[in-house]
Amino acid sequence: MTRSATAKLRVYTALAGLGLIGALALGRPELAAIAAPFAVFVGVGLALARRPEVKVYSELERERQIEGRHVTAELEVVAASSVDRLELLLELPEGLEAEEPNPRLIRLLRGQRREIELPVLCAQWGAYEVGKVLWRARDAFGLLTFEGSGGERKWVKVYPRGEALQRLLRPLETQAFAGNQVTRSRGEGIEFADLRPFTPGDRIRRINWRATARRGVPWVNEAHPERNSDVVIFLDTFAEVRRRDTGTLDLGVRAAASLAAHYLEEKDRVGLVSFGGILNWLTVSSGAAQLYRIVDSLLDAEISLSYAWKDLDVIPSRTLPPRALVIALSPLLDERAIGALLDLRARGRDVAVIEISPFPFLDAGESETEQLALRLWRLRREALRTRYAALGVPIAEWREGVPLEAILEEVRAFRRHARVMRA
Amino acid sequence: MEDVRLHWVAVGLGAAALALLAAGLAARSGEVLGWGLAAIGAEYAVHFSAAGRALDEVTPVYAAAFVLVAELAFWSIEPRVAAWSEPGLIERRLVYLTATSAAAAGVAAAVLVVASASGGGGVALEAIGIAAAIGAFVLLAALVRRSLPEVDSRS
Repeated sequence: MTRSATAKLRVYTALAGLGLIGALALGRPELAAIAAPFAVFVGVGLALARRPEVKVYSELERERQIEGRHVTAELEVVAASSVDRLELLLELPEGLEAEEPNPRLIRLLRGQRREIELPVLCAQWGAYEVGKVLWRARDAFGLLTFEGSGGERKWVKVYPRGEALQRLLRPLETQAFAGNQVTRSRGEGIEFADLRPFTPGDRIRRINWRATARRGVPWVNEAHPERNSDVVIFLDTFAEVRRRDTGTLDLGVRAAASLAAHYLEEKDRVGLVSFGGILNWLTVSSGAAQLYRIVDSLLDAEISLSYAWKDLDVIPSRTLPPRALVIALSPLLDERAIGALLDLRARGRDVAVIEISPFPFLDAGESETEQLALRLWRLRREALRTRYAALGVPIAEWREGVPLEAILEEVRAFRRHARVMRA
Repeated sequence: MEDVRLHWVAVGLGAAALALLAAGLAARSGEVLGWGLAAIGAEYAVHFSAAGRALDEVTPVYAAAFVLVAELAFWSIEPRVAAWSEPGLIERRLVYLTATSAAAAGVAAAVLVVASASGGGGVALEAIGIAAAIGAFVLLAALVRRSLPEVDSRS
């Protein structure tokens, strides 16, 4: 706890001194009469001032929340001595906003315990430490200020809000485990594929009795089995473009969280590669625990400036399983990320690129030179898209405000109409 | 002639006091407010330089008003913190202001009573007055020094 004198104390002391000196110099008791109240005020105020014994505790209602929702911070304040004016401030990092006044002023009587609930809006995804409370008390005469802090910092994880997706991008090939994706191969399943003659070992329940009656020999149904698939979300964290409180990385993180949640719901295995200045990865896995691992890993995603050249060799091979669909979320600003994606395609991987457009976060520029530079940059980016398309990589530009569903449909349309060349 | 010059000095000090108080309120600066209050006191001192030797009986009222102005000025520059959950805060403050002004008038009146009772004064009385002033100043300085910023590392 710190104690400090206010400007009022210094001023009142000076006025008292100047008044008394003036009274002596001019021989006028009236000046002493108007200076004396200030002297008495300071003397009484300082004599009666007591150090406040304030204790503050804080607790968070929950440790995890979705972006855009609220978390309630519960503050408990207790004072061993009465405090007429106690200011309380819950320290909030950028990304969290108090929904009620913060700081606020309360009065505490001796021994009184007050509980205060402060709703906090989780405006931005991320991991935050919240809980430290700063307090400031003044004595009854406003001459001294006491400041201290209390409460324990705790982590609160704000997960990115997801988008609802009706249909997902399906990989070209599936895996061996049961899932929700209908495969092209034939075997046990629900979707009818074909008829074939009965062979020893076939199950009786698969016999198609109509075909058997018509042919006179047993025929069985064949179906398309449902299998799961592997999906790797490739998040480019080399660079981003931001405007105020949002940027391309925010869109990428939200899209990654949405895609991961929906694919895991379909019993697919999902992995994550955060490819940037700091390399982060999660091998493919399924289940609810994997979703928490992915979103926790996404909370750590940040742009870390790095000039070191990185290519696909730095990523462990088991992170990119064969026949996995790689969905890349990238603003295509850094050559290293561009090169890595082209390299992936060259190695025969199934790649789809969602280009997070940086243009909504840029100022167009006012001078002719700036606008010309912007046009040239647009042309370069279009040429890059053409290059990806020529290699058979579906690429769609995603601007802020456009639903992700629409972009996935654009990628699906490319895959339907393009001829995929395999290495 | 001297009265006219002192009159204009008092007017100038009054104008300076107003300007400094306005500047202090606008800038939320306690130090600037202090200079404004000192200018008000100086104006009062100049006024008495021009007046006669008779005691001003309105001084307690002036003292009460002076303290009220000072309190209101410092209240104005206090940090604005929401206190909508604290009923009665304004009422308690107004009671405090009333009591402080009344106390200031009482203290000023007491000083004037003592001053008038001492009659012509004399060297001894003046010495007592000087000693009282110095003593008060030293006491105040000691109290202010005790209140200098300190940090309690235990809490």
